[in-house]
Formats: sequence, structure tokens, C-alpha cells
Amino acid sequence: MGDALLELKQISKTFFGVKALDDINLTIQRGRVLGLIGENGAGKSTLMNIIGGVVQPDAGSQLVFDGQPYAPKKPAEAAAAGIAFIHQELNLFTNLTIAENIFLEDFPRRRFGPLSMIDRRALRNQTRDLLMSIDLDLSPDALIDDLSPGHRQLVEIAKALHVDAQLIIFDEPTTSLTARETRHLFEIIERLRADGKTMVYISHILGDVLQMADDIAVLRDGKLVGSDTHDAFDINRMIALMIGRDLAQLFPSHTHTPSAEVVLNVANVSEPGIVKDVSFHLHGGEVLGLFGLMGSGRTELARIIFGLDRFSSGEIHIRGQRLDHNSPIKSIRNGTAFVTENRREEGLMMEATIVDNVGLLSLNDHARTSLRVVDQSALVQDVRQIAGALHLKSGEITTSPAKSLSGGNQQKTVIGKWLMSDPAIFILDEPTRGVDVGAKHEIYSIINQLAADGNSVLMISSELDELIGMCDRILVMNQGEICGEFHGRSYDEEAILRAAFRESGGEMTLDQPHNGQGGSHNG
Amino acid sequence: MKRIARKLLLFVFVIAILVPLGNLTVLAQDTTICFAFQDLETEFWVAGHRAITGTLADQGIAVIERNANEDANRQLEQVRDCIAQGVDGIIIIPQDGESAVTIVNEAQDNDVPIAVFNRPPSDLSNGIVVVADNETIAEQAVEFMAQKALARFEATGEALTPLIMVGDLGDPNAVGRRNGFYNVIERYPDLFNEPIEVATEWDAATALANLEAAITANPDVDFLFTSSDFLFPTIRSVLEPRGMWVPAGQQGHVIMGGLDGDATACQLIKDGFVDATGVQDLFFEAQATLDALLAAVDAGEFQPNEVIEDPGFALTAGNIIWREMDMWGCVLLAEGFLDQ
Amino acid sequence: MDDIANQSPPPDSPIEVGQPSAQGAAAGASAAPSAASRPAPTGIWRFVRRLLLSEYFILYLMIVYFIILVPLLPTLSRPQNLANLLSNTWPLLAVAVGQTFVLIIAGIDLSQGSVMALTSVIGAAIFATAASPDVLSNSPLWGIVITENGGLLSGNPLSVPVGVAVMFGVAALIGLFNGTAVARFNMPAFMVTLVGMIFFSAFAIFLTQSENIRNLPEAYIQLGKGDIVSLYFGEQAESQIPRRQIYSFLTYPMVIAVGLAVTAHFMLSRTVFGRQVYAIGMNRQAAEISGIPVRRVITLVFMFSAFCAAVGAILFSARLEAGRPTLGAGTALLDIIGATVIGGTSLFGGKGKVLWTFFGVLFFVLLSNTLNLMNLPSTQIDMVKGGVIVGAALLDVLRNRLLSREGT
Repeated sequence: MGDALLELKQISKTFFGVKALDDINLTIQRGRVLGLIGENGAGKSTLMNIIGGVVQPDAGSQLVFDGQPYAPKKPAEAAAAGIAFIHQELNLFTNLTIAENIFLEDFPRRRFGPLSMIDRRALRNQTRDLLMSIDLDLSPDALIDDLSPGHRQLVEIAKALHVDAQLIIFDEPTTSLTARETRHLFEIIERLRADGKTMVYISHILGDVLQMADDIAVLRDGKLVGSDTHDAFDINRMIALMIGRDLAQLFPSHTHTPSAEVVLNVANVSEPGIVKDVSFHLHGGEVLGLFGLMGSGRTELARIIFGLDRFSSGEIHIRGQRLDHNSPIKSIRNGTAFVTENRREEGLMMEATIVDNVGLLSLNDHARTSLRVVDQSALVQDVRQIAGALHLKSGEITTSPAKSLSGGNQQKTVIGKWLMSDPAIFILDEPTRGVDVGAKHEIYSIINQLAADGNSVLMISSELDELIGMCDRILVMNQGEICGEFHGRSYDEEAILRAAFRESGGEMTLDQPHNGQGGSHNG
Repeated sequence: MKRIARKLLLFVFVIAILVPLGNLTVLAQDTTICFAFQDLETEFWVAGHRAITGTLADQGIAVIERNANEDANRQLEQVRDCIAQGVDGIIIIPQDGESAVTIVNEAQDNDVPIAVFNRPPSDLSNGIVVVADNETIAEQAVEFMAQKALARFEATGEALTPLIMVGDLGDPNAVGRRNGFYNVIERYPDLFNEPIEVATEWDAATALANLEAAITANPDVDFLFTSSDFLFPTIRSVLEPRGMWVPAGQQGHVIMGGLDGDATACQLIKDGFVDATGVQDLFFEAQATLDALLAAVDAGEFQPNEVIEDPGFALTAGNIIWREMDMWGCVLLAEGFLDQ
Repeated sequence: MDDIANQSPPPDSPIEVGQPSAQGAAAGASAAPSAASRPAPTGIWRFVRRLLLSEYFILYLMIVYFIILVPLLPTLSRPQNLANLLSNTWPLLAVAVGQTFVLIIAGIDLSQGSVMALTSVIGAAIFATAASPDVLSNSPLWGIVITENGGLLSGNPLSVPVGVAVMFGVAALIGLFNGTAVARFNMPAFMVTLVGMIFFSAFAIFLTQSENIRNLPEAYIQLGKGDIVSLYFGEQAESQIPRRQIYSFLTYPMVIAVGLAVTAHFMLSRTVFGRQVYAIGMNRQAAEISGIPVRRVITLVFMFSAFCAAVGAILFSARLEAGRPTLGAGTALLDIIGATVIGGTSLFGGKGKVLWTFFGVLFFVLLSNTLNLMNLPSTQIDMVKGGVIVGAALLDVLRNRLLSREGT
């Protein structure tokens, strides 16, 4: 204790007159794990970029690393000083092998006459030892391209160990990992801690931070608003510090009550390798949560219900009509809306204006004459109305492109697009991903309003908190199956998490071709 | 809303002001001839191009050259450009007989005299047309080959198997050459078996594929006429591996002839592989074209119509010693063309 | 025309070439230079930036290019040359309009040239008024469709309308094939249309055994070169006006190509179909999820592209007075795609306008014309053209960079 590895003193950074970081004073203790949390835009990445030499802090800022003044001008200097980054977007060469990536800068060599040759055998053996040390049973000659995201992350860690990094910074390491991979990662971090490594762990998943970190620092609007050992925190305090108000205030109060009418009935739906024997109901005016980790099959299920993908057995009824197609056009006509988890790839035309984006679904409603000419002024008027109702903050809607909007306003644009088609069932896949807290609150309000108006919402999320705060009922999905249903306003958080993290051990049947007729045998 | 209209209007306005400027300028008073050719891909057209530009330069006439790269549409546009530039006369080597008719009409409609060099329009009635009599030239070459065949027939008593490589039959030259060949074959009914036809479309790759197939099916071919000399290298690449590329006087020699008279053919006749080639007298053709065109220009005649025939001759192993320098290919050869 | 121009204004308002105050005094050629030298309020950089971002950049460039070259190439501004310029513009415009649609959906249509070849041959085989057995007797069509008396409907007053309809039908079928392969089987457009290019041009050559079909009816030839209004600048007194002093002004190809372009512009900018085309080009996945009939729209776009190629085939083959199986071969594709890209339509999809393509075609034709007038060899002309297309692609990159810098 008390042995500082990295000291940050009066760190400030101004971008175009805006303070991204404001007088940060923080000490990272040797041999401990610091959890760093904050909303998007709170300054986490700027701070890490300064440590990593990607950007330079304002004058007056001071860093001390290992007792020496430290002012990296470029990432290579940070690496040379012994700081390793494990990013969301990994920095591996996917066309090279594991061994080549790890030893990229210092291949073991042997002399062959006048030539200096790469010593393949030594390379392989050293790599194997490194991989064994983190329980990674892979061939050193495997191509990165063939590895899962979790394995790639572990290779990055192996690389950090190889260069004997003194400080390892994990930036959102679990976003693309499966449950099993996440658990493996945590085990490795535990082991590194035991070996006395110093680490910074940045994550949105507050439970993970609470579990992994010895110390926790909270950033808000570029300022350090809290810094203490982990037992001084609980989830509520972390959120309160991050958003500057209480958790209770984050979720607007419920104003809706589900009706008895079943608008969506999913019965024994299976598709081999994707979902297995899924059954549930969605009522009118209900907000139904669907919780599950990445790869649990929740997005795939949403795509099936929306008619984008096929399923091999079972039945889906939407508002009494049997879903017998795989065409989004019919689903839209039938009153279904689908806000996808990936705005950029599946939701928006980033170069197009807000009017063009929001109006996309209702072009036919604004077509005049048999030539199907778009009544532009009517369209603009309708879009303006929706934009107003959603409190969309943007430039002129007829000229500003979607890419000029913030994450929250982009999401509102997507929601607005669906509102234009006047649907009754909303499938929202991660509706608040990449959205700051203020906008989250607004989106929650919109969801409540939708339900209050009698619409049904199927809300998919990997943030349990927001499902607990928003939903009338929560379904938990794990490995393609619904493995739990939780009712009422007081949820047993632990039970939900247990269901979501449950491993089915050796009896995984998803990879086997599913017997189509068997789909209906259990009810 | 008016923005687009305004920009366009401005553009038109600027041009409108500049138009009279263009009208004021007068072309230099020297005689200018536009020479529009379709391509320079084979030796023959290179030689034709040289014959014409050389003749024009000798007479001190300015020349505007246009290469259409085998695109008839582009040639039409180029000829129109020439007309707009106010040339005194046009010489074209057209892409094909059909587009030649259209282009000749275009020029004559605009009162510019036009001459068509070597590849005749499908309608000969308009323009100055200088054309080799392909049928006669081919006949001369094939007749010489037939005499050789006759000598062999008398020795062995076996009929010969003739093969003809025909050109693109859309080109009247190709049709004439084929007719000349058949005229001779029919003259000696006992001497020859049924002739084999190989289509080439004037394309070396097509010719190679078709000739390979034909020779494989008929390995006994011993009398070969190609409608154009530029195919000799192709023929060689097919015959040589089969042991059929043998000079005259040795066992297995295929009696061979061609037409055009290029440098390769000249060399091959000297070496004895080829027996005869029909020669277009390019130097005569170039001179005749220019003479007729300039006469029309001087006379102020805008639509001169005339057909000039080039009788040509056959260059054979027999007469090469004294006619060598009349043949364009041998001239190129003497200048070291094949060494380039 | 006013109707078409009356659409939502472009995002970045382009600079005004003729200021209202300067307009009256703008005596001819001084108009554009005065605009070019007008100092922008915050420096020359800002001015250049706005100029580059303007959607009329190519038009300005064209005007400047024209003005610079007129004193050097006196022929350039002669009425006859301008008439040539225009007559070269129309067929290219017709084809490039179709290519514009395909590029907007992030596709490419390499088969347009072969569609031109095939439809021109098929049309001619229907309405030719005579045919020579010397030339065509080897054709598989001889004796069945074409005889010595000409094509299938030779002499019939309806031969041209029927023939043109069949040309459109054949084009639509090829477009349907391309579109289906791309939309339904998710094959790359480059691959599909490359195969189409090879196959259909070979088929056209096979049909006539590489021969051209001449003797097209006068009514058809008029479509490619017929004048509606001609101009004569000489004195009125002369009774016989020499042909070379009459300049085509309003011609049938002009009416056909402009009509096609205006219709296409209307379709793209005003109709639901047009919005769907842009949406697919910008984000196909988003469009699919948003209920746009992606496959149908892609198929229709390829059919329209082939249709435009058939219109181009009419204009090209009518002015050459022959159905040609080699029409659209060689560098024709360079001209079509090049002109479209020079106009500003992006090869990455989602961006493009018919009006831009019109500017691009005009510029391309002007470029070819001036290079010809400079008496450059054809190889150098093609090199310059290639360079200009690369320049246009670089300009697109530069614009995007400027715009993204503006975004921060």
C-alpha cells in the first residue's frame, strides 16, 4: 500500500475550448486493480489516451510513472515505458499467427552463418509457455483470424505479459465476449493480481467493476467525482456518482398497465443452433424484458419474430395472425417495429438527412398520384412533428445528416422512423447502447409512453438494471433457450443473473441438428 | 429552384458570345487533309499509314491524323471533327464497309471530298474509292501455288488437300480473296481434294484456335493459303510442332501462300517456307488516292466519285529477285522492320 | 423543366457565379472570371472549399476550361463544332443515365455495351429493308429472320415501332437477368455484368457472324440524326444554302436523350422509387429491415440500366445506319462509367444525380472534342481521359474529407 505506480497530477485537456478533462488527480497503486467508470463522454477515453501517448494533456498537467516524470508523445513511448492496452478493438494482425503477434518486435533469433534467422522452435516454445500461463490451450501457429474474440483478448494479454508490462489497462474487455470467455478472463485477471500486476479496468458493467477492482474511480463530465477502495461503493452509489443523481430518478415512473390481450404469441419456436423451443406471450400495453448475454440468442430471436430469419419449427402469432413468411415488409404491415441493436449498420443511413431517415418507412403513405411521387412537404411536416414529440436535438431536419447527431439522437431518429409506420408491437434491441445517461432517461420515457398508449414493447438488453427499472416482466435467455421468467416489480437480481450465467455443461444440444417434429412435445 | 436554370443559362450565354469569335477565325490557307484510320495493329496497316503520310509529306500537305481504335462510332465523330475544322479533304481507312458508307455520305453532305483507302465501302458509288482487286491478286498467288502442286501431283499421283484461312467476311477484301482462291481450285478439279475452310475473323487468337482444330482433324493438309500474311507466325506455331514447317524442296513441305505481302512474308519467301504471296501495291494506291483527291480539291469538286483499282501482283519464289522492291513488306524488311 | 428544378435545395449552397449586382454589368466573358476573382470574406481557402463542395463544380470547371481553350482552338466555338459536341453528347447521356442508377445502389453495370450491341443487331434484323447474301448468308438468322428482302418486318409501316419495342424487351430481359442474379442470389454486380458483357456481345457477334446489318429504314435513321430545327447564320437572299452552313440545333436524339434524362431525374428525385434507390445505396441492411422491397428495386434498377443502354443503341446505331454487333465494345464502357463518375456519382453508392451525370457527360464530350482538336493521337487521348477519371475519383475523396472535417 502507498506505493504509487502511476500518479496523475492536475491533468486537464481542452478540445476546441471544451474541457474534456478538468484537473484530474489520481494515483494508481502498485499491485492493485483500479476500476474506472463513467458515462460515455465523461472523459475515460481521453484520460487513457493521455496515458497511452495518443493525445497530449494541457500545459500544467503532470504524470509520474514509476517515480519518473512521464510525458509520452506517441503510443510507442507508452509501450516502451511498460504500459499495455487491451482494447475493445483489438490491435492484433489477423493474418499472422499467435506466436508472430506476440513476438512481433523481438523474434527469437539464431545465427546461421552470417545470417540472423528467426528461431521457429524457440518462438513456438516460448509462445506455448506464455499461453499455458493464462490457461489458453491453443497452438502457437493458429491464425488470429481463426480465433474467437475472447481468445484474441487473451492473446493480447499474453502479449502484455511477454513485454512484461507494468501496467495493463483493460478498456471494455467483455463487450464482445461470451459468458464462458468472460469468466475465463476474470480468472486470468485474478491470477495477474495475485502475481502482483497493476491493472486498470474500465467497463460499463458496474457489477464486474465492483467484483474485480480494489479501488474505484468515477469520472463525470471530465471531473473526478469519486475515488475510493471498492468496499466504499455499491452499484447505487456508483450510478449516483456517474449520473449525478439517484438511480430511482433514472427510470421514469410507470404509467402503463398491461392488458389481458395477447398480441404476440411465440410457441415452441426452434431453429437448430440458434434458438431452442422458445415460448412466451406479450400482452397489450406491456413492457417485456428479454435479458441475456451476448450470444445467448436474444438478437436472433428478435430477427425471427420480425420475419428476417427463418425458423424450422414452432409457431408465432402476431395479433392473431400466424407468421408464415420471412419478409420484413409483411411484419411492418402487421404492425411490428424493430429497432436493431446496431444503429450504424442496420438502422440508419448515416449520410442521409433526418427527414430521409425518419421518412423511410412511410414513403408509400406519402406517395401521391399513380406515379408515386413523394409529397415532400407533407413528409417534412410529419417528420417535424415526430421529431418534436421525441425532443430530437438536431440541426435543420431537411439538411442535417444522421451522422451529425449524438448517439441518443440517432437512436431517437431510428425510433421516430418506426413511429411513422404506426406500429403496435415494438421490438427494441439494446435501445440504450452507446447513449448517454440523459438521453437514456428520455428513451425510457418514450418506451413508457408507448406502453401507456397501449403498445407492446419487447425490450432486449444486456443491462439488467434498465430491465429491472422498466419492465413488467423479464425473460432470461441463455444459449438459445428461455431459462427463466421473472414477474412483478421487485426482482431477484441474483436469481436473474444466475439464470443468465448458467452453463449447461456437457449437455449442449444446440449444435446438433434439431428434430423438427419434436418441437411441440413440451408445452 | 432557379439555380440550375441560371447556371445553365450562364453556360449558354458564355458560349453564345464566343461563337462569333470562332467564326471570325479563318483556317490557314494551306491545303489540309484529314487522315482518319481505324487502327494500326497489323503490319499492313502500319505500312499503309506510312505510305499515305509519306506521300502527303512529300507534297508538302498538312495532315491531321485520327485513330479510331477500331470503333466506328468514334471514327464518325472524328470525321465530323475534321469537317468542323474545315479540312479540304478526307482520307479514311474505315473500320468496315458499312460504316464507310455512312461516313462518306456524311462528308459529301458537308461538301468535303473524301477518299476511302484500301478497305472499300459496301457501296462503291460514292466517294473516291481506291481498292485492290483482291480476287485477281489472290488468284495470281494461288495460281503459282497450283503450278507447284501440279508438279508434285505428277510425281506422286496423289491429290493435294487444300486449306484456306478466310478473313472476316464482312470485309469485302476477305470475300474477294476467298473467291480468288476458289477460282483456282475449281480450275484443277483432279488436283485437289475438298478444301478445308478455317475462319479467322482477322484475329490471330481465333485463327490459332481454329487452325489447331482443323490441322488436328486433317493432318494431311499440304496446300495452305492464308487470306492475310499477318497470320504466318500463327500458322508456323501450329505447323512446326507437327513437323509440317519445312522449306520447299524438302520432304513434307506444305505448299504455302498468302496475301498482303508483309515483311514476314518477304522473309519467309526468301527462306523457302512460303511459295507465293499476293501483293497489294500500297505505294501505287497511296499515290493514286492522293492524286484523285487533290485533283478534286483543286477543281472545287465536293463530291468526287471514282473507283481506282489496284491490280497488284504475286510475289513468288520465282520473281522475288527482280520484284522485291515493289513490295512494301520487303521495303520494310530491308529497313530492318523485323529487327525492331 | 422548372418543375424538376424545384426540389429541396442542396445542403451546401453553392457559390453564386453571377451576383445580382454584377449580373447586369457582366459583359459576356467577364462574368465567370469576375466571380473567380471575387475575394471571399474569410480568405481564398474558404472560397476554394466552397467551390470544391459545390455540386456545380464540374460545370464551373467546364466553363473555365472552355474559355481558356477558345483562343487556342478557334474551331472549338464554331457552330459546326458545337453541333458536333451536342450530337456526341446525347447517345452517351442516354446510356450514362442508366449507369447512374446502378452506381447509386452501389452496383456497376458492365453489360451496357453488350446490350447496345445485341439490341442494335436484333432491331436491325427486324426492320432492315434489304440485306446482301454475300455478307449475311452465314448468319444463323439468314433465311429465318433476315432474307434478301431485309428483316422480319421489312417494309411494314409498323416495323420500326415493333422493332424498337423488341429492342426494349430484350434489354429488359437482360436487365432482369442481371438484377435477379445480383438481388436474389447476392452475386457481385461486377461479376454478373462482366459475364453479361462477355456473353451478350459474343451472342451478338454470333447472330450476324460479325457482320453489320445495313439498309435501315429512314424513319429509324431519323431517330439518330434527324433535325427538327436547324440554324443558318448566312444571308437570307441566297436561294440555295450550302449544306455545310446549316447547323443542327434541335434534333431527335436531343429530344430522346433529354426526355429520358428528365424522366430519370424525376424518378430519382421525386418518387418513392427514387428514395428507395438511394436508401439501398446508402445502407442496404437498414433498407431491408425498414421494409423496402430491396430485391425488387435492385432488379428494376438493372432493368432500367439496360433500357437506357437500348436507347443509346438506337441513337448510336441509327446515326451509323447499321445494326452493329461490335457497338459499345472497346473503350465505350470507359466513356460511360467515366462520364458518370466525373459528374460526381460515387462508386460507393448512395450518392449521385442525373443532373450531375449530364454535367459529367458534357465535360467528357468536351474533353474528347478538345483533345481531338489539339490533334493528339488517340492513345494520348485515352491516357488523358483516364487521368481525368482518376482526378474525379480523387475529388470525391477530397470532398468527403472536407465534409468530415466540417463535421468536427
